[in-house]
Amino acid sequence: MQHDDVVWAIINKTHCSHKVSTKTQQFCRNEYNLTGLCSRASCPLANSKYATIREENGIIYLYMRTAERIMFPNKQWEKVKLSRNFEKAIHQINENLLYWPAFIKAKCKQRFVKITQYLIRMRKLKLRRVKELVPIQRKIERRERRREEKALVAARIDNAIEKQLLDRLKKGTYNDIYNFPQMAFDAALKAEEISDESESEKSDEEEKEMELEPELEKELQRNVEEVDEFVEADSDMESDADSESGHKEGVDVGSDFESETSDIEDISVKAPSKKKARVEIEYETEPVASISRKKIKN
Amino acid sequence: MSLSVARPLVSVYSEKSEVVAGAALPLPFVFKAPIRPDLVNDVHVSMSKNARQPYCVSKEAGHQTSAESWGTGRAVARIPRVRGGGTHRSGQGAFGNMCRGGRMFAPTKPWRRWHRRVNLRQRRAAAAAAVAAAGVPALVQARGHIIEKVPEFPLVVADKVQEINKTKQAVIFLRRIKAWSDVLKVYKSQRLRAGKGKMRNRRRVQRRGPLIIYHKDQGLTRAFRNIPGVETLNVDKLNLLKLAPGGHVGRFIIWTQSAFERLDALFGSWKTPSKEKKNFNLPQPKMANTDLTKLLKSEEIRKVLRAPNKRVVRATRKLNPLTNSRAMLRLNPYAAVLKREAVLGQRRTRNARALALAEKRGIKLPEDDTAVKAEKLREKRTKAIKVAASKKPKKPVAKKTAPPPPKKKASKEKKPAAKK
Repeated sequence: MQHDDVVWAIINKTHCSHKVSTKTQQFCRNEYNLTGLCSRASCPLANSKYATIREENGIIYLYMRTAERIMFPNKQWEKVKLSRNFEKAIHQINENLLYWPAFIKAKCKQRFVKITQYLIRMRKLKLRRVKELVPIQRKIERRERRREEKALVAARIDNAIEKQLLDRLKKGTYNDIYNFPQMAFDAALKAEEISDESESEKSDEEEKEMELEPELEKELQRNVEEVDEFVEADSDMESDADSESGHKEGVDVGSDFESETSDIEDISVKAPSKKKARVEIEYETEPVASISRKKIKN
Repeated sequence: MSLSVARPLVSVYSEKSEVVAGAALPLPFVFKAPIRPDLVNDVHVSMSKNARQPYCVSKEAGHQTSAESWGTGRAVARIPRVRGGGTHRSGQGAFGNMCRGGRMFAPTKPWRRWHRRVNLRQRRAAAAAAVAAAGVPALVQARGHIIEKVPEFPLVVADKVQEINKTKQAVIFLRRIKAWSDVLKVYKSQRLRAGKGKMRNRRRVQRRGPLIIYHKDQGLTRAFRNIPGVETLNVDKLNLLKLAPGGHVGRFIIWTQSAFERLDALFGSWKTPSKEKKNFNLPQPKMANTDLTKLLKSEEIRKVLRAPNKRVVRATRKLNPLTNSRAMLRLNPYAAVLKREAVLGQRRTRNARALALAEKRGIKLPEDDTAVKAEKLREKRTKAIKVAASKKPKKPVAKKTAPPPPKKKASKEKKPAAKK
């Protein structure tokens, strides 16, 4: 008691670490404060005889403090658990604060009412399962967006997709049935050339230069062979075509009929599948129906 | 704070924070010294200037040119300009505080008065005030220390603490005494300084923790040295900058027993001067009993005061008597009579006029006309009055005889009677 006025004079004039000052009001952030405002009658530091209502985990307690216990901070607060019944609790408050100043009594009851109200509200909300609002943190969102863009660029997805598709093609999962756009085909061929040239360069380094010519011969031979094959196929086709030219019926259609392919496509399928394909000369011919079907059969 | 104080006993706690039974010290008188936050602030401000190192700009800064003003007539400002040619610098302004590369306004000098001397009495009084404030738990809490779970205030610990020489033990001690939450607050407050101090070797800041005041250092300082926020102080060399950091009173202080006992010798009491400080006595408080609310309600003061004037004067609305009849009546009760007369007179004249007009024009007014009714009523009344007057028994007229011999009282009675 002796110190209260002195303490208030000091706290009010100089520094109190719990005081929050706004344009119109002063608040007190002390957790034992009864009203939340910084004023002479409600400052827990400047009143040695003080009482508050606080709740912990949904249980409401009445805290009381008297001037005798001020010097023992450990034991200064006397804690009284209030009944769950509202009216009984009010009676308890009245009983415990019987000869206390009217301000503290009134404010304790007000605070008790407020606390019970918000506890009820909390319980109701929990039952309703309201969606939790999470604020958007602008700085973080901006940062993450930029990083996503960069990661997208760095991943080079187009290349990966291309590689995957080519691998699958090479493996044969598409069963030689695929429409190639012209540009992509040329690009792929060029890529093959370059890779082959690099391979050949490597092989050149290994072998002697003398063997260039035989290689060239080999190339030519290969070309010739392919041409020969080509020619042979034609001759076969011609013989077949001759044999069947008389009959209009009996065109056996293979299972691959529905997937229409042309001569070009057949050739194109073969070309990339041969890993050592050299430069091939492609002849685009208009597909002759009977011949094409025969080819399918084979 | 009164001069005749009851000195409570402060119990001593062992380093395991158990009460040492039987060792209870009476509170030194310092703790009842007047707490003067204004004095502490002033002394603190002056004292903190004493650790400063001088700073100044170079003596020749801005003057290492031979610049001369071009004078008037050249269509340029008259500021001194650098001579010569062949470089950017030639012709540029020099020497002025507004010029680029010129010297600053009022170049700082090293002979600025950096230090302040404070009067000895003021210093001692401030120290006493700071120690007193450290004994009030409310002020320590207001300063921001966490002392919720501390067992007693002021906190006195057994002398064994002075022998702690391992930081680990020191931490354990602080935990047991429940001062650790204050140290935790220091940890949480460690941050980088705002501003250029970062690159001037003042990079990190943190708040202050508890202060340990000892009498004999047997390893204590070294043990507590590395705990952030915790400081140690010898009782004989109390430092205001540590007792009231920032000029704010109420640091959380942990005393050792011998240090606590020393305080009485150092500061003395009001009756006995201090033994260690020559010519020093605790400062006298301005008020012996500081409990103002209790004083104002006490009998001695109440007796001398007059009774309180509980009359509440409420502002009333002024009503215009010319328009508001009640207000008029309040001021002049006869106004009612006048008004009534006026009303009645008006009515009479109106009726008379109506009757006269009817007679003149030869119109017979109907029976229920107001003028006719009023006239009839009047006639009835005059008749009734005459009848009543005639029926009344006449009083015998008093014979005028000679008046009796005059007595003063009798004459007084007669005079009002005669007047009647």
